[in-house]
Amino acid sequence: MSDHLRIEKADLKLGFIALLDCAPLVVAREKGFFWKYGLNVILSKESSWASIRDKVSFGLLDGAHMLAPMPLAATLGLNGNKTPMLTALTLSHNGTAITLSQELYLALVDQIPDWNDADAVGDTFKQLINKRERKPVIATVYPYSNHHYQLRYWLNQHNIDTEEDVQLVAVPPTQMLENLANGMIDGYCVGEPWNSLALMQQKGGLLTTGHKIWGSHMEKVMGVTQRWAEENPNTHRALVTALYEACQWAEEPENRTELMNLLALPPYLDHAAEQLASFTSPYSMEQHFYGNNLNKPDRDHGLFLLDQMSDCGQTDGVSVDKDQLVEDVFRTDLYTSWLS
Amino acid sequence: MSKEKQLNVLLIDDEPERVKALTEALNLLGHNVVCHLPNTTDLNKHVEENLPDIVIIDMDSPNRDTLESMATMSRNNPRPIVFFAEKQNDHKTMSDAINAGVSAYIADGLQPERVTAIIDTAIAHFDAHSSLKAELDNAKNQLADRKFIEKAKGMLMKHQGCDEDQAYQTLRKIAMDRHQTLPVVARNVIEALKGLSGPGN
Repeated sequence: MSDHLRIEKADLKLGFIALLDCAPLVVAREKGFFWKYGLNVILSKESSWASIRDKVSFGLLDGAHMLAPMPLAATLGLNGNKTPMLTALTLSHNGTAITLSQELYLALVDQIPDWNDADAVGDTFKQLINKRERKPVIATVYPYSNHHYQLRYWLNQHNIDTEEDVQLVAVPPTQMLENLANGMIDGYCVGEPWNSLALMQQKGGLLTTGHKIWGSHMEKVMGVTQRWAEENPNTHRALVTALYEACQWAEEPENRTELMNLLALPPYLDHAAEQLASFTSPYSMEQHFYGNNLNKPDRDHGLFLLDQMSDCGQTDGVSVDKDQLVEDVFRTDLYTSWLS
Repeated sequence: MSKEKQLNVLLIDDEPERVKALTEALNLLGHNVVCHLPNTTDLNKHVEENLPDIVIIDMDSPNRDTLESMATMSRNNPRPIVFFAEKQNDHKTMSDAINAGVSAYIADGLQPERVTAIIDTAIAHFDAHSSLKAELDNAKNQLADRKFIEKAKGMLMKHQGCDEDQAYQTLRKIAMDRHQTLPVVARNVIEALKGLSGPGN
């Protein structure tokens, strides 16, 4: 980026949730990418996606690590204050998975002859469910998320009714493992590191990954309000450029150890990252921060997400011009003009 | 107020002093605090059983996402809980609430006017409590512990480039995540950040 561009706002506060895919923000700060582009950034650890949405909406945060469907939901005013939001950068692809309790997983594994046979998997799952005293309780974290839609998608794909055959609940990610171990829930669909940690601590087994369900897809984005983007175009450009370089750094295999050390710092993932440093999952979640142009916001996935939202009734009674909305929210034009 | 049906308020907050004061104030307004849960793990069940008309919850509680999920999770949820702002486009109240660190969810179909007095009361109590809380927390810690907390705060401020309050909030969030006490977390933070400097180095 040329030096003469005036940064409108050099001191920024960005929100993040303690998940592995907040890595680009942590890297941009700790490895000096923000600094390089004239930005002085505070990373604020937030406790919920709801809090991220509200603090960005009301200007308490300049922007945040967001689930890809969040800027869509905020722009439509679903479940909250209606605030037009946008993203000019995808931070990561994939990284979600469905984990089942050790007991349910082991019971299932024995019975399934061919995991690629969707009907067989679904039938076996349902037979197991019928033998149990209660319906399996399966948790997700947030209603406007890939993980929530993926869970429903997988269940539907295998002919398992989301109301009749299972009970869907919501649980904060930090409480997932504990609840899985004590039997309050029988499975969950959530982002990393919470699937790997369950495997590592032998509290659960991996049913499938988000990548297997949908193929490679946009997972987290750098979200800001449309208003903020209009008022701070040069700052926005600096922010996106710094994060783009951080994504590249985070993807490099030789940086993996250093990345895990950075994430293990107390303000970030803390204990969770410390444990993961020594763990190589037998399953790949295909979590990526860079490569194959993945950082470009994906309008096709945006449209796909709007279909998922409408399928589970989230956009009932809301009139949506899907093409216009996706064009306003996923700013491929900014990405292309700033990063090519 | 006496002619109107009293509302059931579910309060989710882990600050005992604030819970006590706010419960008393809401009772005085003629409402009923059905339950106050600190860090609940089975919130889904509590909402089903208590059928609250309104939920008042600490802005920074991880359970907010759980509440927001309930509205869309299942057709079987008898009363979807919706975020306050969805019903009422009162930007000023929303902004006050967020700045005070309080958020609210109301049962679908409830008249917004009835809720405003409850939200205003909650905002006032959350506002008043923030300074009090810091004092109480400080008083509870032994001198030696306090020294570690101060040092960890200072290191976080330097490393994160944040102010004292933000550093303190970070320590509290780590303590909640780890189920550890503040002094234990402070010692760990000091250990982890030793030898690190700020960004860009």
